[in-house]
Amino acid sequence: MENNFYLIGVGGQGVISLGQILADYALKKGERVKFFKEVGMAQRGGPAHSEVRMGEVFGSRIPPLSADLVVVMELAEGLKTLELVKPGGMVILNKKKIYPLDLMVHPEKYPKEAEIAYLFEEAGAKLFWIDAGEIANEVGLPLAENIVLLGVITYLASLDKEIILTVLKENIPYEVEKNMAAFDRGYKIAEENKAEKEKGEA
Amino acid sequence: MRKLLTGNEAVVEGIIEAGVEVVSGYPGTPSTEVILTLLPLVKELGIHIEWSVNEKVAAEIAAGAAWAGKRALTTMKMSGVNVAADSLASIAYSGCTGGLVIFVADDPGAHAGMPEQDSRYYAKSLVIPMLDLASQQECLDYVKLALEISEKIGGPIFLRSTTEVSHTASNIETGKKLKLEKKEAHFERNIVKYTKASSAWCMAQHQEALNRLALALKIADNYVTESGIKVNKTHFEPDSPYGVIYAGAVEGNFREALKIYQLKISWLKIGMVHPLPEERIKEFLAKVDRVLILEELDPIIEKEVFRLASPGDGEKKVKILGKLDHLLPLTGNYSFRQVKGALEVLLDTQLEVDPDPQLLQRAKELEVKRPTSFCVGCPHRGTYFALNQAIKNLKYKKGEIIITGDIGCTILGMNQPFESCWTEVAMGASIGIAQGFKWAGIKKPVVATIGDSTFFHAGIPPLINAVYQQVPLTVIILDNGWTAMTGFEENPGTIPLKEVSRTRVDIAEVCRGCGVKKVNTIDPYRPEEAIKAIMESLEYPEVSVIVSRRECALQAKRREIRLPQRKVDIEKCTGCRICLNTLACPAMVFHPKEENNKPYMEITADCFGCGLCAFTCPTGAIEVIKDGE
Ligand SMILES: Cc1ncc(C[n+]2csc(CCOP(=O)(O)OP(=O)(O)O)c2C)c(N)n1
Ligand code: SF4
Ligand code: SF4
Repeated sequence: MENNFYLIGVGGQGVISLGQILADYALKKGERVKFFKEVGMAQRGGPAHSEVRMGEVFGSRIPPLSADLVVVMELAEGLKTLELVKPGGMVILNKKKIYPLDLMVHPEKYPKEAEIAYLFEEAGAKLFWIDAGEIANEVGLPLAENIVLLGVITYLASLDKEIILTVLKENIPYEVEKNMAAFDRGYKIAEENKAEKEKGEA
Repeated sequence: MRKLLTGNEAVVEGIIEAGVEVVSGYPGTPSTEVILTLLPLVKELGIHIEWSVNEKVAAEIAAGAAWAGKRALTTMKMSGVNVAADSLASIAYSGCTGGLVIFVADDPGAHAGMPEQDSRYYAKSLVIPMLDLASQQECLDYVKLALEISEKIGGPIFLRSTTEVSHTASNIETGKKLKLEKKEAHFERNIVKYTKASSAWCMAQHQEALNRLALALKIADNYVTESGIKVNKTHFEPDSPYGVIYAGAVEGNFREALKIYQLKISWLKIGMVHPLPEERIKEFLAKVDRVLILEELDPIIEKEVFRLASPGDGEKKVKILGKLDHLLPLTGNYSFRQVKGALEVLLDTQLEVDPDPQLLQRAKELEVKRPTSFCVGCPHRGTYFALNQAIKNLKYKKGEIIITGDIGCTILGMNQPFESCWTEVAMGASIGIAQGFKWAGIKKPVVATIGDSTFFHAGIPPLINAVYQQVPLTVIILDNGWTAMTGFEENPGTIPLKEVSRTRVDIAEVCRGCGVKKVNTIDPYRPEEAIKAIMESLEYPEVSVIVSRRECALQAKRREIRLPQRKVDIEKCTGCRICLNTLACPAMVFHPKEENNKPYMEITADCFGCGLCAFTCPTGAIEVIKDGE
């Protein structure tokens, strides 16, 4: 089975380390992996993204309309992934907005949540909204925003939770309790969301 | 063993398995991680690994080691080959006894900026064979292969990577560590081989280098690596009139397309791009009617294919598709869509519908631009702030004073809000270009800004030139103690870490030694003094140097240096945004006016405490956070 994950955000959000965890997971599962990271000027507030491909894959980059799961860590950055989402694929939209200088003064110019959602829905994606930054703050570890999302991804992509947690501990050996709490919160929210949807449908 | 390694990490694995004893290089994306990964292992491996002062020196060090019989490897980005080329040409003529590999990483798509230049041309002009990497497994296997070829032919060899191969991680199989017999370093005097002061010797050396090329191809053409990779490989699809010839990173997208669309196409993969396997190419062309050439950047293989396909009497004509017919671009790294589009033309069929262009267009319009700026607390912010202020104080208008910039984090001074730098050319060029402006007759002061690593790399000769020619010039050396932009490597000005033994070279002393009479050292965190010193320098009638010295904030933070942070007194803040507009520190957040409250600035916990913003605030609203607050 081929599985393509596309993770996008801006420097400092942990887009690359999140990708690293998924790539290490795939290796542990004995899958073929391609893990591409765009580092560029991310350190200085520029965009950052990583792509993790598992299964019978050859290219480093996910072909158009082939991303099974897109994780948007910074909302407006998600606009760059529209050509990648697979119709019927899942897009996790984190509500975080990071304003560059000019938008700080004119926040009204930042694209509206509704418009972003509309475009993804037109592209045939299923959306999952979350405020991972808020949850990471509640857990007491603002840096764990990406780990909250890891919990969501693990549930939504039906990854093996035990293996993911092992890899998480190997990759981030500090603040283990808080990271675990962040992961659990994300995982539970995804789980409850599904249960609610099913109730709604029933 | 299976490991998840990036292309560059796989090169490191190859270096270790192949028993390389001397590794030198100069940082440059996308090649940097080879030495970055190796350096922490230096004790364990017991070999010599260094960041040299520039690529030319690095190449010379590796060549010297290889001349003494050791296995050596040098690393650089494509721009670095320009710098090393002068020495490499002579080294290639002389050949070597130990294995000598020049690892060069090209950057199609210019992900890290700089010209996209195709280093395969250097293989041709320097008479050095070149292997082109297509996958992470090859990164490991080909280091070993390259050393083997180098030793067998008795000459250096290029190993060329590209960003996509170097920066992608993949599961690879590690191999066996080679058991090499221990050799004492030994170099035999042979001036016929190792000097150039005779035309007969030079031409003989040239001929030998050409002979080595042919030998390299002979070894590589049918070579199968430890993990089973064929360097040059032909695959014939029975009854298919279609063919693809490819090399390098495009392999991923090409093979992906073969899989997705289940295509029946013959293909020829070229792993040694110089010299090209002409016989193999001719054999391939004989069996196809239409052939697509997939290679990034310049149509080097394509032109050769044209030459080899020229039909003689009675031979069939093959249709060749690629760049020369404008099907594919000469710039950038190929996306899957481009490869797919080219295959559609080859096969004259549509393979799949593309994403809705209207949707993509709308998304593009909404995208948020993120101009990159200095990090929180970056010392360069203070230097450009002081420079702009000094220019203003001397009653020049914004945009009146030419400031030539240079490579590195220092060039970010071209962006908002500073908009200081006007040009960026190549390592050290800020100081040379500035002199040209003066000789052209620019009357107002001209300023060159340059980082410490860049100054050591290529900034010293143009500075000496300015001294000797008596050019009035302000050279500002932004000495943050590290080669920061490429990932914080050490350079000769870095204060040595405890665990290493180095002699630090002081930039101010170097400048004085070059004959500069006015050399001032400033602290970019102290704007008042910095502005004064720069004003003096701008008015000085000869070349003067300002060394702006303060450690890169990210490195200082890593070394746990903590300065008192700042906060905004909301009562005093008028929301004028002068601090934000002049400094744009990412630790600042502006809160626009809302119904119940006035606009105000906030300084977040990211603040590094450089203190600049407090200096700019007209109402004194920015204060130091005292202990315990
Ligand atoms: C010939 C060449 N080699 C290497 C590079 C890659 N490179 C770009 S910026 C940079 C480092 C600049 O360091 P420094 O001058 O100290 O400035 P900093 O980034 O620390 O501000 C390097 C090595 C290049 N562009 N050209
Ligand atoms: S990495 Fe260092 S030198 Fe470069 S912008 Fe950041 S603080 Fe400044
Ligand atoms: S003192 Fe001001 S300018 Fe300096 S790091 Fe803190 S917020 Fe940024």
